[in-house]
Amino acid sequence: MAAIEIRNLMKSFGPVKAVDGVSFSVEAGSVTGYLGPNGAGKTTTLRCLLGLVTPDSGEALVNGERYVTLSRPTSEVGAVLEATSFHPGRTARNHLRILCTAAGLPDARADEALEQVGLADAAGKRVGGFSLGMRQRLALASALLGRPRVYIFDEPANGLDPAGIEWLRGFLRHLAHDQGAAVLVSSHVLAEVEQTVDDVVIIAKGRLVRQGSLAELTSDGADVVRVRAAETADLAPALEAAGGVVEQAGDGLLRVRGLDTEAVGRIALDRRIVLTEVAQERSGLHKVFLDLTEGR
Amino acid sequence: MSGLVKAELRKLFTTRLWWIMLLVMLLLAALRLGFLIAFAGVEQNGAALPARDSAQWAETAWSAGAAGGIFAMILGVVLVTSEYRYQTITGTFLATPRRNRVIVAKLVTGLLVGALFSLAVLVFQAVTVIPAVTLSGGEFSLSASRIPQISLGILMTLALYAVFGIGLGALVRNQIAGIIGAIVWAYVIENIFIGIPALQSVGKWLPGGAAQALLSIDLDVAGLGAPEWLPAWAGALVLIGYGLLFAAVATATTVRRDIT
Repeated sequence: MAAIEIRNLMKSFGPVKAVDGVSFSVEAGSVTGYLGPNGAGKTTTLRCLLGLVTPDSGEALVNGERYVTLSRPTSEVGAVLEATSFHPGRTARNHLRILCTAAGLPDARADEALEQVGLADAAGKRVGGFSLGMRQRLALASALLGRPRVYIFDEPANGLDPAGIEWLRGFLRHLAHDQGAAVLVSSHVLAEVEQTVDDVVIIAKGRLVRQGSLAELTSDGADVVRVRAAETADLAPALEAAGGVVEQAGDGLLRVRGLDTEAVGRIALDRRIVLTEVAQERSGLHKVFLDLTEGR
Repeated sequence: MSGLVKAELRKLFTTRLWWIMLLVMLLLAALRLGFLIAFAGVEQNGAALPARDSAQWAETAWSAGAAGGIFAMILGVVLVTSEYRYQTITGTFLATPRRNRVIVAKLVTGLLVGALFSLAVLVFQAVTVIPAVTLSGGEFSLSASRIPQISLGILMTLALYAVFGIGLGALVRNQIAGIIGAIVWAYVIENIFIGIPALQSVGKWLPGGAAQALLSIDLDVAGLGAPEWLPAWAGALVLIGYGLLFAAVATATTVRRDIT
Protein backbone atom coordinates (compact mmCIF):
# COMPACT_ATOMS: atom_id res chain seq x y z
CA MET A 1 0.00 0.00 0.00
CA ALA A 2 1.35 3.41 -0.97
CA ALA A 3 1.54 6.05 1.75
CA ILE A 4 -0.26 8.51 -0.50
CA GLU A 5 -2.49 7.38 -3.32
CA ILE A 6 -4.33 9.72 -5.64
CA ARG A 7 -6.62 8.15 -8.24
CA ASN A 8 -8.27 10.07 -11.05
CA LEU A 9 -8.93 13.07 -8.86
CA MET A 10 -11.26 15.73 -10.25
CA LYS A 11 -12.25 19.07 -8.73
CA SER A 12 -13.88 22.07 -10.38
CA PHE A 13 -14.53 25.48 -8.91
CA GLY A 14 -17.39 26.77 -11.02
CA PRO A 15 -16.30 26.54 -14.65
CA VAL A 16 -12.62 26.13 -13.74
CA LYS A 17 -11.29 22.60 -13.70
CA ALA A 18 -8.69 22.99 -10.96
CA VAL A 19 -7.73 19.30 -10.90
CA ASP A 20 -8.61 17.25 -13.95
CA GLY A 21 -7.97 13.56 -13.56
CA VAL A 22 -4.72 13.44 -11.61
CA SER A 23 -3.31 10.09 -10.42
CA PHE A 24 -0.04 9.37 -8.65
CA SER A 25 1.29 7.74 -5.52
CA VAL A 26 4.04 8.37 -2.98
CA GLU A 27 5.95 5.55 -1.29
CA ALA A 28 7.42 5.52 2.20
CA GLY A 29 11.08 6.48 2.35
CA SER A 30 10.99 8.82 -0.62
CA VAL A 31 10.54 12.50 -1.36
CA THR A 32 8.20 13.27 -4.23
CA GLY A 33 8.22 16.71 -5.78
CA TYR A 34 4.82 17.90 -6.94
CA LEU A 35 5.68 20.52 -9.48
CA GLY A 36 3.82 22.92 -11.67
CA PRO A 37 3.40 26.61 -12.36
CA ASN A 38 1.26 28.74 -10.06
CA GLY A 39 -2.40 27.88 -10.52
CA ALA A 40 -1.68 24.41 -11.89
CA GLY A 41 -3.85 22.72 -9.28
CA LYS A 42 -1.18 21.63 -6.81
CA THR A 43 -2.75 23.20 -3.75
CA THR A 44 -6.22 21.94 -4.65
CA THR A 45 -4.85 18.40 -4.98
CA LEU A 46 -3.22 18.60 -1.57
CA ARG A 47 -6.33 20.10 0.01
CA CYS A 48 -8.44 17.27 -1.43
CA LEU A 49 -5.93 14.83 0.03
CA LEU A 50 -6.29 16.46 3.46
CA GLY A 51 -10.08 16.55 3.51
CA LEU A 52 -10.26 20.35 3.35
CA VAL A 53 -11.76 20.32 -0.13
CA THR A 54 -14.25 17.69 -1.29
CA PRO A 55 -13.30 16.30 -4.71
CA ASP A 56 -15.97 16.00 -7.40
CA SER A 57 -14.79 12.48 -8.17
CA GLY A 58 -11.81 10.23 -7.73
CA GLU A 59 -9.98 9.26 -4.58
CA ALA A 60 -7.23 10.71 -2.44
CA LEU A 61 -6.01 8.32 0.24
CA VAL A 62 -3.44 8.44 3.01
CA ASN A 63 -2.30 5.06 4.31
CA GLY A 64 -5.18 3.58 2.35
CA GLU A 65 -7.83 5.72 4.04
CA ARG A 66 -9.54 9.03 3.39
CA TYR A 67 -8.02 11.68 5.64
CA VAL A 68 -11.36 12.51 7.29
CA THR A 69 -11.76 8.93 8.49
CA LEU A 70 -8.32 8.68 10.09
CA SER A 71 -8.74 8.21 13.82
CA ARG A 72 -5.53 10.04 14.79
CA PRO A 73 -4.74 12.23 11.78
CA THR A 74 -2.02 14.30 13.47
CA SER A 75 -0.09 11.12 14.27
CA GLU A 76 -0.38 9.79 10.72
CA VAL A 77 0.03 12.86 8.55
CA GLY A 78 1.95 16.08 9.07
CA ALA A 79 0.87 18.84 6.73
CA VAL A 80 1.94 22.39 6.07
CA LEU A 81 -0.31 24.42 3.82
CA GLU A 82 0.15 28.14 4.35
CA ALA A 83 2.80 30.29 5.91
CA THR A 84 0.32 32.73 7.33
CA SER A 85 -2.05 30.49 9.25
CA PHE A 86 -1.36 31.77 12.76
CA HIS A 87 -3.08 34.16 15.10
CA PRO A 88 -0.57 37.02 15.38
CA GLY A 89 -1.32 37.61 19.05
CA ARG A 90 -0.56 34.05 20.10
CA THR A 91 2.89 32.78 21.01
CA ALA A 92 4.53 30.01 19.01
CA ARG A 93 4.37 27.64 21.97
CA ASN A 94 0.68 28.33 22.60
CA HIS A 95 -0.11 27.85 18.93
CA LEU A 96 1.42 24.38 19.01
CA ARG A 97 -0.04 23.51 22.41
CA ILE A 98 -3.54 24.21 21.11
CA LEU A 99 -2.91 21.74 18.28
CA CYS A 100 -1.51 19.22 20.77
CA THR A 101 -4.62 19.54 22.94
CA ALA A 102 -6.94 19.05 19.98
CA ALA A 103 -4.93 16.01 18.81
CA GLY A 104 -4.65 14.48 22.28
CA LEU A 105 -0.87 14.87 22.39
CA PRO A 106 1.08 15.96 25.48
CA ASP A 107 2.01 19.66 25.70
CA ALA A 108 5.68 18.73 25.85
CA ARG A 109 5.57 17.92 22.13
CA ALA A 110 5.22 21.65 21.40
CA ASP A 111 8.66 22.52 22.79
CA GLU A 112 10.24 19.41 21.29
CA ALA A 113 8.96 20.32 17.83
CA LEU A 114 10.14 23.92 18.22
CA GLU A 115 13.56 22.60 19.18
CA GLN A 116 13.59 20.42 16.07
CA VAL A 117 12.98 23.32 13.69
CA GLY A 118 15.37 25.65 15.51
CA LEU A 119 12.74 27.93 17.03
CA ALA A 120 13.25 27.07 20.71
CA ASP A 121 14.43 30.61 21.50
CA ALA A 122 11.28 32.17 20.01
CA ALA A 123 8.83 29.81 21.74
CA GLY A 124 7.40 32.49 24.02
CA LYS A 125 7.20 35.24 21.40
CA ARG A 126 4.03 36.31 19.64
CA VAL A 127 3.83 35.02 16.07
CA GLY A 128 2.92 38.52 14.85
CA GLY A 129 6.57 39.50 15.17
CA PHE A 130 7.91 36.50 13.25
CA SER A 131 9.63 36.75 9.88
CA LEU A 132 8.25 34.71 6.99
CA GLY A 133 11.05 32.21 7.45
CA MET A 134 10.22 31.78 11.14
CA ARG A 135 6.56 31.26 10.26
CA GLN A 136 7.54 28.52 7.82
CA ARG A 137 9.58 26.83 10.52
CA LEU A 138 6.68 27.10 12.95
CA ALA A 139 4.38 25.58 10.35
CA LEU A 140 6.86 22.73 9.91
CA ALA A 141 6.92 22.29 13.69
CA SER A 142 3.13 21.88 13.70
CA ALA A 143 3.50 19.06 11.18
CA LEU A 144 6.00 17.27 13.43
CA LEU A 145 3.87 17.24 16.59
CA GLY A 146 2.35 13.79 16.15
CA ARG A 147 5.56 12.18 14.79
CA PRO A 148 3.73 11.11 11.63
CA ARG A 149 5.06 8.85 8.85
CA VAL A 150 3.55 10.85 6.00
CA TYR A 151 4.34 14.50 5.30
CA ILE A 152 2.61 16.88 2.92
CA PHE A 153 4.19 20.28 2.33
CA ASP A 154 2.73 22.97 0.09
CA GLU A 155 5.41 25.38 -1.14
CA PRO A 156 7.43 25.12 2.07
CA ALA A 157 10.36 27.06 0.62
CA ASN A 158 8.32 30.23 0.06
CA GLY A 159 9.86 33.06 2.02
CA LEU A 160 12.92 31.13 3.15
CA ASP A 161 16.33 32.69 2.59
CA PRO A 162 19.02 30.62 0.84
CA ALA A 163 20.26 29.27 4.17
CA GLY A 164 16.70 28.38 5.12
CA ILE A 165 16.16 26.55 1.82
CA GLU A 166 19.37 24.60 2.38
CA TRP A 167 18.18 23.68 5.87
CA LEU A 168 14.78 22.64 4.48
CA ARG A 169 16.38 20.36 1.89
CA GLY A 170 18.36 18.57 4.55
CA PHE A 171 15.28 18.37 6.75
CA LEU A 172 13.09 16.77 4.04
CA ARG A 173 15.82 14.28 3.12
CA HIS A 174 16.26 13.43 6.78
CA LEU A 175 12.52 12.75 7.20
CA ALA A 176 12.37 10.48 4.14
CA HIS A 177 15.75 8.79 3.99
CA ASP A 178 16.66 8.50 7.68
CA GLN A 179 13.20 8.17 9.22
CA GLY A 180 11.56 6.34 6.33
CA ALA A 181 8.67 8.76 6.00
CA ALA A 182 6.79 9.48 2.80
CA VAL A 183 7.20 13.13 1.82
CA LEU A 184 5.15 14.97 -0.78
CA VAL A 185 6.39 18.50 -1.41
CA SER A 186 4.91 20.93 -3.91
CA SER A 187 6.77 23.77 -5.56
CA HIS A 188 6.58 26.06 -8.56
CA VAL A 189 10.35 26.48 -8.54
CA LEU A 190 12.14 23.40 -9.81
CA ALA A 191 15.54 24.44 -8.50
CA GLU A 192 14.17 24.53 -4.94
CA VAL A 193 13.40 20.84 -4.86
CA GLU A 194 15.65 19.41 -7.55
CA GLN A 195 18.38 18.46 -5.13
CA THR A 196 15.94 16.96 -2.66
CA VAL A 197 13.39 14.87 -4.47
CA ASP A 198 13.57 11.25 -5.57
CA ASP A 199 10.46 11.31 -7.73
CA VAL A 200 8.75 14.03 -9.67
CA VAL A 201 5.13 14.61 -10.62
CA ILE A 202 4.50 17.58 -12.90
CA ILE A 203 1.06 19.07 -13.48
CA ALA A 204 -0.19 22.00 -15.48
CA LYS A 205 -3.74 23.32 -15.87
CA GLY A 206 -4.97 20.53 -13.60
CA ARG A 207 -3.57 17.72 -15.73
CA LEU A 208 -0.66 15.41 -15.16
CA VAL A 209 2.18 16.18 -17.57
CA ARG A 210 5.03 13.93 -16.50
CA GLN A 211 5.87 11.64 -13.67
CA GLY A 212 8.78 9.43 -12.85
CA SER A 213 11.99 9.28 -10.90
CA LEU A 214 14.18 12.35 -10.97
CA ALA A 215 16.97 10.29 -12.59
CA GLU A 216 14.69 9.19 -15.42
CA LEU A 217 13.41 12.64 -16.14
CA THR A 218 16.74 14.44 -16.00
CA SER A 219 18.71 11.93 -18.08
CA ASP A 220 16.17 12.33 -20.85
CA GLY A 221 17.79 14.87 -23.22
CA ALA A 222 20.92 15.36 -21.18
CA ASP A 223 23.14 14.00 -23.98
CA VAL A 224 22.42 16.91 -26.31
CA VAL A 225 25.01 19.64 -26.87
CA ARG A 226 23.96 23.07 -28.06
CA VAL A 227 26.46 24.75 -30.38
CA ARG A 228 26.57 28.08 -32.13
CA ALA A 229 29.46 29.02 -34.39
CA ALA A 230 30.55 31.91 -36.56
CA GLU A 231 30.65 29.52 -39.52
CA THR A 232 27.81 27.06 -38.94
CA ALA A 233 27.89 25.79 -42.50
CA ASP A 234 31.43 24.42 -41.98
CA LEU A 235 30.84 23.07 -38.50
CA ALA A 236 27.81 20.83 -39.13
CA PRO A 237 29.52 18.52 -41.66
CA ALA A 238 32.61 18.33 -39.47
CA LEU A 239 30.54 17.21 -36.49
CA GLU A 240 28.71 14.64 -38.59
CA ALA A 241 32.02 13.33 -39.90
CA ALA A 242 33.07 12.78 -36.28
CA GLY A 243 29.97 10.66 -35.60
CA GLY A 244 27.60 13.31 -34.25
CA VAL A 245 23.94 13.52 -35.15
CA VAL A 246 23.29 17.14 -35.94
CA GLU A 247 19.93 18.86 -35.87
CA GLN A 248 19.58 22.39 -37.24
CA ALA A 249 17.51 24.07 -34.55
CA GLY A 250 17.22 27.34 -36.46
CA ASP A 251 18.77 30.72 -35.81
CA GLY A 252 22.23 29.21 -36.28
CA LEU A 253 21.82 26.80 -33.39
CA LEU A 254 22.92 23.18 -33.76
CA ARG A 255 21.70 20.43 -31.41
CA VAL A 256 24.23 17.62 -31.45
CA ARG A 257 23.85 14.09 -30.12
CA GLY A 258 26.60 11.54 -29.79
CA LEU A 259 29.36 14.01 -28.91
CA ASP A 260 30.12 15.74 -25.65
CA THR A 261 31.06 19.41 -25.26
CA GLU A 262 34.79 18.64 -25.22
CA ALA A 263 34.61 16.66 -28.48
CA VAL A 264 32.65 19.46 -30.13
CA GLY A 265 35.22 22.00 -28.95
CA ARG A 266 38.16 19.95 -30.27
CA ILE A 267 36.51 19.51 -33.68
CA ALA A 268 35.92 23.25 -33.92
CA LEU A 269 39.52 23.93 -32.86
CA ASP A 270 40.89 21.52 -35.51
CA ARG A 271 38.85 23.28 -38.19
CA ARG A 272 39.67 26.72 -36.78
CA ILE A 273 35.96 27.51 -36.44
CA VAL A 274 35.03 30.16 -33.87
CA LEU A 275 32.43 28.90 -31.42
CA THR A 276 30.09 31.50 -29.96
CA GLU A 277 28.23 29.11 -27.71
CA VAL A 278 28.70 25.55 -26.58
CA ALA A 279 26.68 24.05 -23.75
CA GLN A 280 25.08 20.92 -22.47
CA GLU A 281 21.36 21.01 -23.29
CA ARG A 282 19.21 21.69 -20.25
CA SER A 283 17.85 18.46 -18.89
CA GLY A 284 14.52 17.12 -20.03
CA LEU A 285 12.98 17.97 -16.71
CA HIS A 286 14.08 21.55 -16.94
CA LYS A 287 12.81 21.76 -20.48
CA VAL A 288 9.41 20.30 -19.69
CA PHE A 289 9.08 22.55 -16.71
CA LEU A 290 10.23 25.65 -18.53
CA ASP A 291 7.91 25.01 -21.47
CA LEU A 292 5.04 24.77 -19.05
CA THR A 293 5.86 27.90 -17.14
CA GLU A 294 6.76 29.96 -20.19
CA GLY A 295 3.68 28.82 -22.08
CA ARG A 296 1.49 30.65 -19.62
CA MET B 1 -14.33 15.71 22.98
CA SER B 2 -13.11 17.30 26.22
CA GLY B 3 -9.72 17.74 24.55
CA LEU B 4 -11.37 19.71 21.79
CA VAL B 5 -13.22 21.93 24.24
CA LYS B 6 -9.96 22.49 26.10
CA ALA B 7 -8.29 23.41 22.81
CA GLU B 8 -11.06 25.92 22.07
CA LEU B 9 -10.79 27.44 25.55
CA ARG B 10 -7.04 27.75 25.04
CA LYS B 11 -7.58 29.48 21.71
CA LEU B 12 -9.68 32.08 23.48
CA PHE B 13 -7.53 32.55 26.56
CA THR B 14 -4.20 32.74 24.69
CA THR B 15 -5.35 35.88 22.88
CA ARG B 16 -6.33 39.21 24.35
CA LEU B 17 -9.88 39.74 23.19
CA TRP B 18 -11.61 37.91 26.05
CA TRP B 19 -10.46 40.20 28.82
CA ILE B 20 -11.09 43.31 26.74
CA MET B 21 -14.69 42.11 26.24
CA LEU B 22 -14.97 41.25 29.93
CA LEU B 23 -13.70 44.68 30.94
CA VAL B 24 -16.02 46.54 28.57
CA MET B 25 -18.96 44.42 29.72
CA LEU B 26 -18.25 45.23 33.38
CA LEU B 27 -17.75 48.92 32.57
CA LEU B 28 -21.11 49.00 30.83
CA ALA B 29 -22.75 47.24 33.78
CA ALA B 30 -21.10 49.81 36.08
CA LEU B 31 -22.52 52.60 33.96
CA ARG B 32 -26.05 51.17 34.11
CA LEU B 33 -25.82 50.54 37.82
CA GLY B 34 -24.46 54.05 38.38
CA PHE B 35 -27.44 55.43 36.49
CA LEU B 36 -29.88 53.27 38.46
CA ILE B 37 -28.31 54.28 41.77
CA ALA B 38 -28.27 57.97 40.88
CA PHE B 39 -31.82 58.15 39.55
CA ALA B 40 -33.51 55.81 42.01
CA GLY B 41 -36.81 57.27 43.11
CA VAL B 42 -36.52 60.24 40.72
CA GLU B 43 -39.61 60.95 38.66
CA GLN B 44 -39.18 61.52 34.93
CA ASN B 45 -41.88 61.91 32.26
CA GLY B 46 -44.47 60.81 34.73
CA ALA B 47 -42.70 57.52 35.38
CA ALA B 48 -40.32 56.87 38.22
CA LEU B 49 -37.63 54.41 39.10
CA PRO B 50 -38.42 52.72 42.40
CA ALA B 51 -36.54 53.87 45.47
CA ARG B 52 -33.21 52.27 46.33
CA ASP B 53 -34.48 50.56 49.46
CA SER B 54 -37.27 48.74 47.60
CA ALA B 55 -37.13 45.14 46.46
CA GLN B 56 -38.25 46.29 43.03
CA TRP B 57 -35.21 48.54 42.65
CA ALA B 58 -32.91 45.68 43.69
CA GLU B 59 -34.47 43.46 41.03
CA THR B 60 -34.17 46.13 38.35
CA ALA B 61 -30.56 46.81 39.25
CA TRP B 62 -29.81 43.08 39.42
CA SER B 63 -30.97 42.64 35.84
CA ALA B 64 -28.39 45.12 34.51
CA GLY B 65 -25.99 42.30 33.65
CA ALA B 66 -28.30 40.89 31.00
CA ALA B 67 -27.04 43.64 28.69
CA GLY B 68 -23.75 41.74 28.60
CA GLY B 69 -25.30 39.33 26.10
CA ILE B 70 -23.83 41.33 23.24
CA PHE B 71 -20.27 40.77 24.53
CA ALA B 72 -20.82 37.04 24.83
CA MET B 73 -22.22 37.14 21.29
CA ILE B 74 -19.18 39.01 19.96
CA LEU B 75 -16.89 36.47 21.61
CA GLY B 76 -18.92 33.72 19.95
CA VAL B 77 -18.56 35.46 16.58
CA VAL B 78 -14.81 35.79 17.07
CA LEU B 79 -14.46 32.18 18.20
CA VAL B 80 -15.35 31.21 14.62
CA THR B 81 -14.38 34.17 12.45
CA SER B 82 -10.84 34.61 13.80
CA GLU B 83 -10.14 31.08 12.52
CA TYR B 84 -11.10 32.19 9.03
CA ARG B 85 -9.46 35.59 9.36
CA TYR B 86 -6.08 34.12 10.31
CA GLN B 87 -6.62 30.87 8.39
CA THR B 88 -6.06 28.82 11.52
CA ILE B 89 -9.20 26.96 10.43
CA THR B 90 -6.92 24.87 8.18
CA GLY B 91 -4.87 23.66 11.14
CA THR B 92 -8.01 23.15 13.20
CA PHE B 93 -9.60 20.91 10.56
CA LEU B 94 -6.32 19.08 9.94
CA ALA B 95 -6.17 18.17 13.63
CA THR B 96 -9.91 17.36 13.71
CA PRO B 97 -11.13 16.50 10.22
CA ARG B 98 -14.60 15.59 11.51
CA ARG B 99 -15.78 19.14 11.47
CA ASN B 100 -19.03 18.69 13.36
CA ARG B 101 -16.89 17.80 16.39
CA VAL B 102 -15.10 21.15 16.08
CA ILE B 103 -18.45 22.94 15.94
CA VAL B 104 -19.79 21.07 18.97
CA ALA B 105 -16.59 21.92 20.87
CA LYS B 106 -16.99 25.58 19.95
CA LEU B 107 -20.64 25.58 21.04
CA VAL B 108 -19.76 24.02 24.39
CA THR B 109 -16.94 26.55 24.76
CA GLY B 110 -19.38 29.37 23.98
CA LEU B 111 -21.78 28.14 26.67
CA LEU B 112 -18.94 27.88 29.20
CA VAL B 113 -17.49 31.30 28.44
CA GLY B 114 -20.95 32.89 28.46
CA ALA B 115 -21.55 31.30 31.86
CA LEU B 116 -18.16 32.56 33.12
CA PHE B 117 -18.96 36.08 31.94
CA SER B 118 -22.35 35.95 33.67
CA LEU B 119 -20.67 34.85 36.90
CA ALA B 120 -18.29 37.80 36.62
CA VAL B 121 -21.11 40.28 36.15
CA LEU B 122 -23.17 38.69 38.95
CA VAL B 123 -20.24 39.05 41.36
CA PHE B 124 -19.85 42.64 40.22
CA GLN B 125 -23.56 43.27 40.84
CA ALA B 126 -23.36 41.68 44.26
CA VAL B 127 -20.62 44.04 45.38
CA THR B 128 -22.47 47.12 44.08
CA VAL B 129 -26.20 46.45 44.46
CA ILE B 130 -26.15 44.88 47.92
CA PRO B 131 -24.28 47.83 49.52
CA ALA B 132 -26.47 50.29 47.60
CA VAL B 133 -29.62 48.69 49.03
CA THR B 134 -28.38 48.23 52.59
CA LEU B 135 -26.78 51.68 52.79
CA SER B 136 -30.14 53.16 51.79
CA GLY B 137 -31.74 51.39 54.73
CA GLY B 138 -33.32 48.64 52.66
CA GLU B 139 -32.95 44.95 53.18
CA PHE B 140 -31.41 42.77 50.48
CA SER B 141 -32.93 39.33 50.56
CA LEU B 142 -32.22 36.54 48.13
CA SER B 143 -35.17 34.44 49.16
CA ALA B 144 -37.90 37.07 49.23
CA SER B 145 -37.13 38.59 45.83
CA ARG B 146 -36.72 37.33 42.29
CA ILE B 147 -32.93 37.73 42.44
CA PRO B 148 -32.22 33.98 41.92
CA GLN B 149 -34.50 33.83 38.88
CA ILE B 150 -32.93 36.96 37.40
CA SER B 151 -29.45 35.51 38.03
CA LEU B 152 -30.42 32.36 36.20
CA GLY B 153 -31.85 34.48 33.41
CA ILE B 154 -28.57 36.35 33.03
CA LEU B 155 -26.64 33.08 33.02
CA MET B 156 -28.85 31.61 30.29
CA THR B 157 -28.87 34.81 28.27
CA LEU B 158 -25.09 35.23 28.20
CA ALA B 159 -24.42 31.54 27.56
CA LEU B 160 -26.92 31.34 24.70
CA TYR B 161 -25.89 34.66 23.16
CA ALA B 162 -22.39 33.20 22.81
CA VAL B 163 -24.02 30.33 20.90
CA PHE B 164 -25.89 32.83 18.69
CA GLY B 165 -22.55 34.48 17.97
CA ILE B 166 -21.00 31.18 16.93
CA GLY B 167 -23.87 30.55 14.51
CA LEU B 168 -23.63 34.06 13.09
CA GLY B 169 -19.84 33.79 12.78
CA ALA B 170 -20.05 30.48 10.93
CA LEU B 171 -22.64 31.98 8.61
CA VAL B 172 -20.79 35.16 7.62
CA ARG B 173 -17.16 34.08 8.32
CA ASN B 174 -16.00 37.69 7.95
CA GLN B 175 -15.01 38.99 11.38
CA ILE B 176 -15.96 42.64 10.91
CA ALA B 177 -19.27 41.74 9.26
CA GLY B 178 -20.03 39.31 12.08
CA ILE B 179 -19.29 41.78 14.87
CA ILE B 180 -21.18 44.61 13.18
CA GLY B 181 -24.07 42.23 12.50
CA ALA B 182 -24.19 41.24 16.16
CA ILE B 183 -24.14 44.85 17.35
CA VAL B 184 -26.76 46.00 14.84
CA TRP B 185 -28.96 43.06 15.77
CA ALA B 186 -28.69 43.50 19.53
CA TYR B 187 -28.69 47.28 19.75
CA VAL B 188 -30.80 48.40 16.79
CA ILE B 189 -33.17 45.72 15.51
CA GLU B 190 -34.06 44.13 18.83
CA ASN B 191 -34.36 47.51 20.55
CA ILE B 192 -36.81 48.66 17.88
CA PHE B 193 -38.96 45.57 18.29
CA ILE B 194 -38.69 45.56 22.08
CA GLY B 195 -38.88 49.30 22.67
CA ILE B 196 -41.81 50.23 20.42
CA PRO B 197 -45.03 48.97 22.01
CA ALA B 198 -46.75 48.33 18.67
CA LEU B 199 -43.96 45.96 17.64
CA GLN B 200 -43.67 44.17 20.96
CA SER B 201 -46.02 41.39 19.87
CA VAL B 202 -43.19 40.41 17.49
CA GLY B 203 -40.38 41.57 19.75
CA LYS B 204 -41.29 39.25 22.59
CA TRP B 205 -40.55 36.30 20.31
CA LEU B 206 -37.08 37.58 19.38
CA PRO B 207 -34.03 36.49 21.41
CA GLY B 208 -33.89 39.84 23.20
CA GLY B 209 -37.57 39.64 24.09
CA ALA B 210 -37.18 36.09 25.30
CA ALA B 211 -34.23 37.17 27.43
CA GLN B 212 -36.41 39.94 28.93
CA ALA B 213 -39.05 37.33 29.72
CA LEU B 214 -36.47 35.44 31.77
CA LEU B 215 -35.81 38.53 33.84
CA SER B 216 -39.54 39.32 34.18
CA ILE B 217 -38.84 42.97 34.89
CA ASP B 218 -42.10 44.52 33.75
CA LEU B 219 -41.13 47.98 34.81
CA ASP B 220 -42.47 50.92 32.85
CA VAL B 221 -39.23 52.90 32.78
CA ALA B 222 -39.83 54.69 29.50
CA GLY B 223 -43.36 55.66 30.38
CA LEU B 224 -44.74 53.84 27.33
CA GLY B 225 -46.64 51.22 29.29
CA ALA B 226 -45.19 48.06 30.79
CA PRO B 227 -44.37 45.56 28.02
CA GLU B 228 -45.96 42.14 28.07
CA TRP B 229 -43.28 39.49 27.84
CA LEU B 230 -43.74 35.78 27.49
CA PRO B 231 -43.88 33.79 30.73
CA ALA B 232 -40.35 33.09 31.98
CA TRP B 233 -40.50 29.39 31.11
CA ALA B 234 -41.64 30.18 27.56
CA GLY B 235 -38.88 32.75 27.25
CA ALA B 236 -36.36 30.10 28.26
CA LEU B 237 -37.73 27.68 25.66
CA VAL B 238 -37.64 30.34 22.94
CA LEU B 239 -34.07 31.26 23.83
CA ILE B 240 -32.98 27.62 23.79
CA GLY B 241 -34.81 27.21 20.49
CA TYR B 242 -32.77 30.05 18.99
CA GLY B 243 -29.64 28.43 20.44
CA LEU B 244 -30.43 25.16 18.64
CA LEU B 245 -31.22 27.06 15.46
CA PHE B 246 -27.89 28.91 15.52
CA ALA B 247 -26.06 25.68 16.38
CA ALA B 248 -27.69 24.04 13.36
CA VAL B 249 -26.70 27.00 11.19
CA ALA B 250 -23.10 26.75 12.42
CA THR B 251 -22.96 23.05 11.62
CA ALA B 252 -24.71 23.24 8.26
CA THR B 253 -22.50 26.06 7.00
CA THR B 254 -19.25 24.47 8.14
CA VAL B 255 -19.36 20.74 7.64
CA ARG B 256 -19.09 20.50 3.86
CA ARG B 257 -17.68 23.84 2.84
CA ASP B 258 -14.41 23.76 0.90
CA ILE B 259 -11.55 25.38 2.80
CA THR B 260 -9.38 26.92 0.09
